[in-house]
Amino acid sequence: MEPEKQIDIKTLQEENEKLLKRQSIKSDIVSISAHQIRTSLSAIKWILKMFTDGDLGKLTAEQENLMRRAYEDNDRAIGVVSELLQANKIEDVVEKKYSFAETDIIELIDSSVFDFSGEALAHKIEIIFLKPEMRLPTVKADKEKFRIVLQNLFENSIKYSNPYGKVFIALREKDSFIEVSIKDIGIGISEEGKKRIFEKFYRDVTAQKKEAVGSGIGLFTTKKIVEDHGGKIWFESNEGEGTTFFFTVPIYKGVK
Amino acid sequence: MPKTILIIEDDNFLQGLEATKLKKEGYNILTASNSVEAFKLMEGKDKIDLILLDLLLPDVDGFTILEKVRQNKIFQSIPVIVFSNLSEEKDVSRATKLGISEFMIKSNFTLDEISKKVKELIG
Repeated sequence: MEPEKQIDIKTLQEENEKLLKRQSIKSDIVSISAHQIRTSLSAIKWILKMFTDGDLGKLTAEQENLMRRAYEDNDRAIGVVSELLQANKIEDVVEKKYSFAETDIIELIDSSVFDFSGEALAHKIEIIFLKPEMRLPTVKADKEKFRIVLQNLFENSIKYSNPYGKVFIALREKDSFIEVSIKDIGIGISEEGKKRIFEKFYRDVTAQKKEAVGSGIGLFTTKKIVEDHGGKIWFESNEGEGTTFFFTVPIYKGVK
Repeated sequence: MPKTILIIEDDNFLQGLEATKLKKEGYNILTASNSVEAFKLMEGKDKIDLILLDLLLPDVDGFTILEKVRQNKIFQSIPVIVFSNLSEEKDVSRATKLGISEFMIKSNFTLDEISKKVKELIG
């Protein structure tokens, strides 16, 4: 290689390392600050609740009304901080280099379903994983990143389902891919949303009505990770009826 | 005789609020701000019926305390409620695998709800 080009590559690598370091410091600052803010907001939440419950003496109707509004606003702030933490974590994982390996997708889905069992219970949603009877081939995936894909899709399906609804997860082999589907019975996606749902920071009106707070980066990141794996992602949805997300991931044939 | 709860929480303000609420409900409350204080109290004269455990602590983290509690023949059956602002799936999963009765995210619950959960577990 010519000496000038060698210097260029070396400079670029050094710059890249500097940027990654900076990104990591920024991410740590966001995470630590967000945790501290959330702790303070928790204390405010508890105290406001003590006031509205009359634990600290009887309030006038006006005082009670104001305390209730403060409580709701505080809860919204907690939601924003939680979203910030989640977005920061996703960005952290996505920034890392891909490390593809032979992966058992059923095992990966099983463990993600387990992680969401508490949240599903809290939302009164049942997650049903329809495992195929035949053994499926392994896939080529970066486990850590793929967990983000599953987490985002599971989280959405739970958040935007109707109470006492069901979420169905199914998978099948198709050509040289495994196709996964996640179906919910919930609010669905609006016509405008169908065109823009994978855009960064976009939140559909139906989602905003159900959950006021959201970063709008979940599906953008999900699509990026699926495509970086060589797969595709798409959906079928009817507003007010529910949504099914599909994605594919290539069958493992060795890591190139 | 009132049941005894050990609150392991390093934020004094939050610790005070939790203790006040649970005392009002009739429980005997012990408080620790780190693992050394916590184990000293566990080995003390009061029999502990439940532990309310924060995960981010100044000396060792709550996971390490939980691990030690579960390995100790005397304390291993004490119900533990993790009460923390850590909320990632990996944290919930790690604590669940070590053996907890409940994982509650501080900002998602009120003290009333904690108190109800405690009552469900130890009466």
